[in-house]
Amino acid sequence: MDNTRITKIIRDNSLYQCLECGKCSASCPRMLAGKEYSPRLLAQKLISERDDEAFIESSVWECLTCSLCEERCPSGVNISRVILEMRSLLAAEKGLKGTRAHDGALHSWMRMMTSPELKQNRLGWVTPELKTAETGKIAYFSGCAPYFDVFFSHLDLDTLSIARDSVRLLNFLDIEPVLLKNERCCGHDLLWTGDNENFETLCRLNYAEFKKAGIEEIVVSCPECYTMLGTHMPEVIPEFDIKVTLLLELLQNEVHKGGKAFKPLDTTVTYQDPCRLGRISGCYDAPRYLLNQIPGLTLREMENSGPSAICCGNNGFINCDAYSKSIQVQRLKEVSDTGAQLLVTACPKCMIHLSCAMRDPARNGKVELPIKDLTSLLAEGIKWTG
Amino acid sequence: MKRPNLLGICCNWSPWTCVNAAGRANLHLPPNLRIIRVMCIGRINQALILKAFEYGSDGVILLECRDEDCRYGPGPEVGHSNVALVRSLLDLLGIEQKRLVERSFEAHEKDRMVEELWGFAKRIDTMGSNPAKPRQEREAV
Repeated sequence: MDNTRITKIIRDNSLYQCLECGKCSASCPRMLAGKEYSPRLLAQKLISERDDEAFIESSVWECLTCSLCEERCPSGVNISRVILEMRSLLAAEKGLKGTRAHDGALHSWMRMMTSPELKQNRLGWVTPELKTAETGKIAYFSGCAPYFDVFFSHLDLDTLSIARDSVRLLNFLDIEPVLLKNERCCGHDLLWTGDNENFETLCRLNYAEFKKAGIEEIVVSCPECYTMLGTHMPEVIPEFDIKVTLLLELLQNEVHKGGKAFKPLDTTVTYQDPCRLGRISGCYDAPRYLLNQIPGLTLREMENSGPSAICCGNNGFINCDAYSKSIQVQRLKEVSDTGAQLLVTACPKCMIHLSCAMRDPARNGKVELPIKDLTSLLAEGIKWTG
Repeated sequence: MKRPNLLGICCNWSPWTCVNAAGRANLHLPPNLRIIRVMCIGRINQALILKAFEYGSDGVILLECRDEDCRYGPGPEVGHSNVALVRSLLDLLGIEQKRLVERSFEAHEKDRMVEELWGFAKRIDTMGSNPAKPRQEREAV
């Protein structure tokens, strides 16, 4: 392994500040699910025992990257960034590893999107009542929604309703977004599985697409797309000058200005904080503010919520195993303990992973519960007030 | 023009018997077609078909038994549903759906198989090469 680069990764992300307190390992959902997995030991090996390559490799690839350890770390070590950079280093030296879920089908289509000549047919979901523009300054980035809708059709989730409801909400705010015919995947799963080369190609192709259409602002609903376009894309493209807006934050501002309200909905819900929205982007308020604006709706927090929220069990579609399932079932038990009638999420992947666990035949439907994306819940109820 | 890359995924039972019989009868198959023999088409999932395209196939043909002849039970049905789903994904990606086909055979139908394979090769030839050809990933060794 490239020692100089590892030292740089350690320095850049404050790993030398590690106090060996072990809070990271004690809070790791994988560890709590019973797996022998220790971020603290990984830190120690990276710092002083680099010849234990087998341990370092397996630890780096098996991380969920949920950032809960980072939240707990008293020394401010940027652990998820260490994992991210180590993965790209290991992938470049030894090839991509990590057991890919669904046999890597998702990564396959993401990599296929790096072909420059691609002419996608991705806008079949746009129904006539949605107002969209051919040209304009504001675009809506639908991400992988059309692909998930096909691939996860057996889960009966309709991830495309998130895209439709996002456009509906934008229309309500008098915005007619441009939908790009050839936007590509944001590259989140490729970056987090160490495939930097293809991630950078996707970034460049997407940026060229945005520029060609004259886009100045991109609205995204998916938290993963939000961190990729907002944080990682400018790292790849230094001249990146497009404003990236999270739909939930846009809505929070608009609702706060007044004149808009929601139809009453008499129900009790609980909210799953997606790791990319909460811990990585620091957005905890917007979803809660918006949920509390719905009259009649009671929001009951789970035992672990906000910055302590437990992961939906998988990230970047790698290493989905029995421990992931155990994390998901544990999470769903927390959901049912709140007595909520509806589980609200803000990330399509939380929805996919938690639904998958709900439909596990071994659970006999005991952890099943209606699940809905926050965007859809808001789009159904938003209205003007006098 | 460079010949398109064709991949045939062939079930070990009826279709492979046809391929064998065609060989013994000295019937030629398209030279740009590579055949992979698998125990059953039911073993092939969506990811493996997609991977063939990711790795540069211009056309993929699944050679399977007839529904009622499967030695294991639901093999061909699994094939049908996978082909339908992967075709929808290919369509989203802007890759012509006709680049992925499935054909079923009985064990004695060697002549029809040869005919079908040449027909498939000809159709892909006229379509030209697959528009979505990414750079290949670096696999772990």
